[in-house]
Amino acid sequence: MSTGFLQSVRTLFALKPKQKLTAQYLLSLFAAVALAFLVGAGIMLLCGYDPITCYAALFKGALGKPRALGNTLAKTVTLCLTGLAMSLAAKAGIFNVGGEGQLYLGGLAAAVVGARMNGSPAWLIVACSLLAAMAAGGAYAWIPGALKVKLKVNEVVTTILLNSAAIYFCSYMANGPLKTAERGIESGTDSIASYAAFTPLIRLSNLTTGVFYAAVITLLVWYLMTRSTVGFEMKITGTNERFARYGGIRADRLALWGMTLSGMICGVVGLLEVFGLHHRFMTTISSEFYFDGMLVAMIMRYQPFGVILMSFFFAILNIGGSAMELSAGISSEVMLIVQSVIIFFMAAEGGISEKLRAGAAARRIRRDARRAGKGAAV
Amino acid sequence: MSEIFNILLVQNTLRTATPVVLCALGCLMSDQVGIMNIGVDGMMLMGAFFAVLGSYLFGSWLAGILFTMILGMLLGYFYYVFSVKFKSDEFIIGVALNILAGGLTVFLLRTLFGVKGSFSSPRIVPLPTLHIPWLESIPVLGPILSGNTLLVYVSWLLVFLCWVLLYKTPLGFHLRASGQAPEALRASGVNPDRMKRIASVLCGVLAALSGAHLSLGYLTMFSENMSASRGYVAVACVIFGGSNPPRVFLAALLFGFIDALGMRLQKYIPSDITSMAPYVVTVVMMVAVVLLKRRKPSGIKPAAQ
Amino acid sequence: MSENAPIVRFEHISMQFPGVLANDNVTLEIRKGEVFALVGENGAGKSTLMNLLYGLQKPTLGRIEIKGKPTSPHHDPTRAMAMGVGMVHQHFKLVPGFTVAQNIALGMEPKKHKLFYDQKRINAEVTELCERFGLPLNPQDTVGELSVGLQQRVEILKALHRGADVLVLDEPTAVLTPQETEELFQVIRRIVAEKEMTVILITHKLGEVMRLSDRVGVMRRGKLLDVLNTSETDERKLAALMVGREVLFSELREGAPGTREVLSVDRLSALDDRGLPAVKGISLTVHEGEIVGVCGVEGNGQTELTECIMGMRPQTGGTVTLNGRNISRLDPRQIRAMGVSWIPEDRLRTGLSAQATVTENLLVGKQRLPEFSRFSLHYRKGNARRYGEKLASEFDIRSGGLELPVGSLSGGNMQKTILAREFSFDSPVLVISQPTRGVDIGAIEFIHEKIMEKRNAGCAILLVSADLDELFRLSDQLVTIYEGQITGRFPNGEIDREEIGYYMTGGR
Repeated sequence: MSTGFLQSVRTLFALKPKQKLTAQYLLSLFAAVALAFLVGAGIMLLCGYDPITCYAALFKGALGKPRALGNTLAKTVTLCLTGLAMSLAAKAGIFNVGGEGQLYLGGLAAAVVGARMNGSPAWLIVACSLLAAMAAGGAYAWIPGALKVKLKVNEVVTTILLNSAAIYFCSYMANGPLKTAERGIESGTDSIASYAAFTPLIRLSNLTTGVFYAAVITLLVWYLMTRSTVGFEMKITGTNERFARYGGIRADRLALWGMTLSGMICGVVGLLEVFGLHHRFMTTISSEFYFDGMLVAMIMRYQPFGVILMSFFFAILNIGGSAMELSAGISSEVMLIVQSVIIFFMAAEGGISEKLRAGAAARRIRRDARRAGKGAAV
Repeated sequence: MSEIFNILLVQNTLRTATPVVLCALGCLMSDQVGIMNIGVDGMMLMGAFFAVLGSYLFGSWLAGILFTMILGMLLGYFYYVFSVKFKSDEFIIGVALNILAGGLTVFLLRTLFGVKGSFSSPRIVPLPTLHIPWLESIPVLGPILSGNTLLVYVSWLLVFLCWVLLYKTPLGFHLRASGQAPEALRASGVNPDRMKRIASVLCGVLAALSGAHLSLGYLTMFSENMSASRGYVAVACVIFGGSNPPRVFLAALLFGFIDALGMRLQKYIPSDITSMAPYVVTVVMMVAVVLLKRRKPSGIKPAAQ
Repeated sequence: MSENAPIVRFEHISMQFPGVLANDNVTLEIRKGEVFALVGENGAGKSTLMNLLYGLQKPTLGRIEIKGKPTSPHHDPTRAMAMGVGMVHQHFKLVPGFTVAQNIALGMEPKKHKLFYDQKRINAEVTELCERFGLPLNPQDTVGELSVGLQQRVEILKALHRGADVLVLDEPTAVLTPQETEELFQVIRRIVAEKEMTVILITHKLGEVMRLSDRVGVMRRGKLLDVLNTSETDERKLAALMVGREVLFSELREGAPGTREVLSVDRLSALDDRGLPAVKGISLTVHEGEIVGVCGVEGNGQTELTECIMGMRPQTGGTVTLNGRNISRLDPRQIRAMGVSWIPEDRLRTGLSAQATVTENLLVGKQRLPEFSRFSLHYRKGNARRYGEKLASEFDIRSGGLELPVGSLSGGNMQKTILAREFSFDSPVLVISQPTRGVDIGAIEFIHEKIMEKRNAGCAILLVSADLDELFRLSDQLVTIYEGQITGRFPNGEIDREEIGYYMTGGR
């Protein structure tokens, strides 16, 4: 077996979340965003659009009207939760790339429970659906987690593969055994009890009372990661698993819990989509929501506070992008490109700043040496 | 039964496996120099698009291939710059590349061709199908082995060439050394970074070519998300095969077989389930590989930890 | 070139790394045909200077001349080798997956038909090379499976294959047995005398310097302090130069060990990471207030032994008993709870989390105590910080700040961090592996004192070390280990260094 591969797999395993959001890092982030916007402007010009108009449409489309703001906030919620899900697991040293599948399964479970319990009090329906969603998402995350922890199977590859498996499975269920009998619904399960669904907070937007559940979860996750003893132990486990074990920390258990909790959060995101928006499970319930959140987490180095803030910004780009397409005409994917540029730049930030610093230091030394003249020989 | 397990199954296996084979070869080269390239899925997708673009613009499949190869070289070099020179997290770069690929291809699809979802046109020239007489004369398998599109045969040749390159040439030794012990290579006077660059570029070209097979050799069109995570399957194949070309080839064939089998079973089993199967099987295989390896050294099971 | 002409010259060499001036205006001449020792503490700049000679780095200022010719601005290992400089690194630069011949040929492979790798020819060339220099090796052995001594031989042959006449050896004896060290010295003497080679020896082992070298240069903090003829100096003077002050190695032991058995290992067996037997039926006992020193060259099972005791490695046989209770199948958490602490030999892999802060590293193991965790839920940062400050001052841990990652500390301070943490559990049993490896003389003093404090207070200590000086200084009892078995047990004082070397290599 190629030791080169073992090395790279070890690199993958050893991908450690870097720690602080230093001022320098935030400055680089600002530069990255500026650069990305320039690149976007360039693409717009090439395609014959005026960047100013486009960007104006972007921000207006995201923040202008109450309805738009509602959508942006709803998107923020999704990104924030998925980003935190990724961060939580990453902090414990395990990479949950399968959140999308966990989201689907959670949504499916919530929809089924929500429909079957029609007749029970609303709070009971929501509570049971929450449990179902968390159980589904958590269990599905637990599988690759256990494989990694007990058998050292690469969780990045397994979670990605299981993603596809879960999405196909849910599609099968929604088109087959659980397909609703209602007319006009192409693929989807029965509708949940309508009185149990979340109500919109801002008219005609996607922002519903679900945001309160999200806020609670966000707070809990933030506390867990930054202020709790378990969070401390997770940090140790995530940065050096062997050391954690040696130090008496139950590294295996923590990593597994991190993964399971991550899956549970994703399941809840699925529930929020079902209860907030569609009121049933549909195969269109998510479009790469988790990947977007994952990228936010990675850019903000898995720091909860940073993730929360960045979610808002990315939500603006996302919602604004669609609005921009409608009003200015340019395809919204250009914002995906802008986002990618930000990510690439931030990923390279470490290496770039290291080179800059080394270059500056070398120049300074040569300058000082020339001024001081050569020292006496020993 | 014979409806399913017939000679066409073999042919479908070959056709389905080929993109994974090519992509896995690329991933393997990258891995031998110590770079884990998860972005091959995105490279495959972009390769597929640019192959269609080239073929469409110049009315020739050769132009499509050339476009793809140039794109692949750029992507491979780009991946090298970010992961080696800028020391970026390979995982982030890879995933970001996949996302960029998705966004870029859709963007170009809409902007250049003005369509959504998929693009097809009579102006696109597909890869030629090759009929090789001496292959055809092989009993039973002959008619299947011959009559495949160009890249299928190229992929077989490349498996052999990669093996020769890695294990029988000095360059191959340098490549492997740069992954196993880069500092040893540097102290011997060869620059490991240069090796990584070479391997990355090769990886890009191969991954992009795998996309060209998808869009010009398999079907003659481009559709959004055409790669369908096959790039990740390629990564899994590289893990199984321990970055050894013949073994990786077998792993990819296995995937192709299950995928092709799934498609034939679609008459009896819902398509979603058959689509699901290859992915589940791949995960099971990954677990099996680990379990088998554990049993080997001394037959003694480790005490409970 | 005349007999004692300079073969290598460094003129006003300075090397600046981000944050540290590794070489500070060094001017030095190496003469043809001599054995020149370059000594200094860790971080003094010796390896850096040689890396510049070999072209692995470019100096920030100054010039280097080899055989009278200046090095080019694009000096790199290829050019260095072409100019006749060969280097045997401290951490071998070998590809473990390749064979001996493939490693020796790396970078200058013979070709068949201009394209293919000519395996047969290089195998033959290597065999011939081995005979010429009297360093036998099998060209087709996989380097990763060779012993450390043989791997070093491959490194040396690699340099000789390229026609080196200046051979730089960086800490060559760090990983050798006394016997292998002796063999190496003979090789060095032979190639200098018979093949007219020049040898530059980088080391911090002053005994070897006195035995082998013609001249010795002392470096400290990047500066070359002095160059002396070996015949005109001694170890004490050199040590004083290296550290900048008189180093007193005083006697620390007080009182005899107790009689109660605390830790008992009985016929312990275990496998290593490759699945091969590493520990083959080891039995030993440590009493309270006693230090049992395990002497052996690294790689003879000591690592696996300590890992078993700590619960980090499963055993295949035998038991470990603590105060009468069998702790063999417990995990580290439980073993710690029973009163065992371990200072592991690899600081960064096992002993610390490089990215966590100093405070966090100090706290691990105690994070669930009520003092640091309210209801086992809330992490009490303030208390943790104060605790960290207390420990850091008690153990003289120098850092840029306790909230910085511990990976930013120097080797000695990292080691003190681990010590501070492990000692603070007041465990009755301490397992200590290679406590002063890569640590400066000043810190070594401190660590030894702290270890003896624990012993004098009644702790039972199992000390594993490859440093004979350390073992002889601290241990009450010495136990030699070779290939996973105990080959001898001696009270300290009843055996000397030569004899113990014999036991360390399997003699009985």
